[in-house]
Amino acid sequence: MTFDFLDSFLITGLFSVVMVTGLALLLHLQLGLTRIANFGVVGFWGIGMYVFGVLYVKVDWSFGDPYQFLVCAAIATIASGLAGLLVGWLIADLDTDGVLVVTLGFATAVQLVATAQDDITGGARGMGGLDFPFDIGKVKDNELLWLGFTMAVVAGILFYVWRVHRSPYGRHLIAVGANERLARSLGKSTSRTKLWLFVIASAAMGLLGAMNGVMVRFLDIGNLGIDITLAAMAGLILGGTARVWGAVVGVFLTVGVFDIVIQSYLPLPREWYTQAIPVMREAIFGLTLIIVLLFRPYGILGDMRRDSLMRKIHGR
Amino acid sequence: MVADTVSAVAPARPQIRIQGVVKSYAGRVVVNIDDTVLGASPIEGLIGPNGAGKTTLMRLIMHSTALDRGTISLLPPTGGEVVLSSQSSNRMAHHGVVKSNQVIMDFDRLTVLDSLLLAAAEGTYEQPHRIFSEKTVYRRHKDEIRHYLDFFGFADPTAFALSAGEKKLLDIVRCLLLKPTFLLLDEPTAGLPEDLTDKVMVVVRELAAAGTSVVIVEHDLNVIWNLCDEVLFMAEGSVILRGDPQSIRSHRTVVEKYLGEGHV
Repeated sequence: MTFDFLDSFLITGLFSVVMVTGLALLLHLQLGLTRIANFGVVGFWGIGMYVFGVLYVKVDWSFGDPYQFLVCAAIATIASGLAGLLVGWLIADLDTDGVLVVTLGFATAVQLVATAQDDITGGARGMGGLDFPFDIGKVKDNELLWLGFTMAVVAGILFYVWRVHRSPYGRHLIAVGANERLARSLGKSTSRTKLWLFVIASAAMGLLGAMNGVMVRFLDIGNLGIDITLAAMAGLILGGTARVWGAVVGVFLTVGVFDIVIQSYLPLPREWYTQAIPVMREAIFGLTLIIVLLFRPYGILGDMRRDSLMRKIHGR
Repeated sequence: MVADTVSAVAPARPQIRIQGVVKSYAGRVVVNIDDTVLGASPIEGLIGPNGAGKTTLMRLIMHSTALDRGTISLLPPTGGEVVLSSQSSNRMAHHGVVKSNQVIMDFDRLTVLDSLLLAAAEGTYEQPHRIFSEKTVYRRHKDEIRHYLDFFGFADPTAFALSAGEKKLLDIVRCLLLKPTFLLLDEPTAGLPEDLTDKVMVVVRELAAAGTSVVIVEHDLNVIWNLCDEVLFMAEGSVILRGDPQSIRSHRTVVEKYLGEGHV
């Protein structure tokens, strides 16, 4: 089977879709089930990417790939998980406004630290030297294989989220989001639940960040802006925050349409690609958010259907 | 009149001791109890006019509202003492102290079955890595859930609770599934039709007979007179009288402050 139809541009677009889908699925656990509006997605993702990149490039490991990748990615995942522990602890007893401010502040802090510590991170100049943990020939082949690995990880996240909906843990998350006070009266430790949810989701976001670092092979603090959070948020809200497939459908309709269809197949002027398109992308995603929230707040797939799910699992 | 002493030996059934508890809002004292014990009798009724502090007292016991000062402790029959007022509100259910809600509260996205499984499920099955444990939890609790669903006549447990009465019942069943040793019921029959009120009373009697201490706040005084072994009368934040239903019902203070002459 040949993949000649997949040019580098298309692979990058697909990778972007898969990456944002993974983040949107994790955000679904927080926003869709537990009603925690995490606007700091890029912070956790960025910590994963930069911790991975710095360890991979700056540390003189006594072993090479794939172990070097595995060790660096594991440490990056743990680092993001620890950041999630800190943020989760800070937001555990805050209301929606407080969560929004803390998570946004956290993401900004990550970007500022990455910029200020330029002797470690490369700052505004960026940092190269990252590579695939394998070499199967041409760059395009490596990119394609890496896209496959990332798809497998995101498919794993999708399966986990799908199972969460069908588990006591998922019910517990929904209860915390729906009525925290009532959940506490039933003996549920809601603060601990939110804390662990943040640790797990942040760690997974960090792993995705590390995998993104491998694909782009050059770390740029421009990646730590609001784009990735906005893309995940817009996709999830368009598809439906409360539905498992909402993240998948929504991201395909936002990032997929924009990064693949519009950028790859529309005859846009070349000079647009550096400045106009990224700005236009953010503007369109922001507009999508506003329109969906105004006219279809539950997204395309609508609200969750616990009644039909319960019938499916336990019968009538 | 108020018998507030606690014996040094462990009580026969769980009791809650309230000592020096004060709660005020904006300078107005709403609860001020020197020393009172709840649970000395199997089923106790807590009555009093609106604003007497009954619901606030229940919230203070559950620590869903913080005390200004004082101590609230659980005295289990096994001995020892658990200071409830120093624990977080979610720990109450772990100690067997459970309360139904005066105002209707529900999980708007959970079905009746969901809601009951949530109450029944042990914490160990609600961990992030236990994503295959739904069947286990269902198997462990389906019989008791089915028992209550049938008893109260829930038509379709996989649907959402829609009416106020259904939500009220759901709240009570959730409390029952927590297997309380000390159950506080805040207006449990408000808004329920007579047949369901009777069923709630049956369940409460069964629970008390099995060793659970029950305290009921209720404005339907027929429930209080018919169900309770002892009645506490609260006014202006304090328990000012306690005794058997008949003596409280005919007590001059209760008649003047609460019942009115026509009720006796």
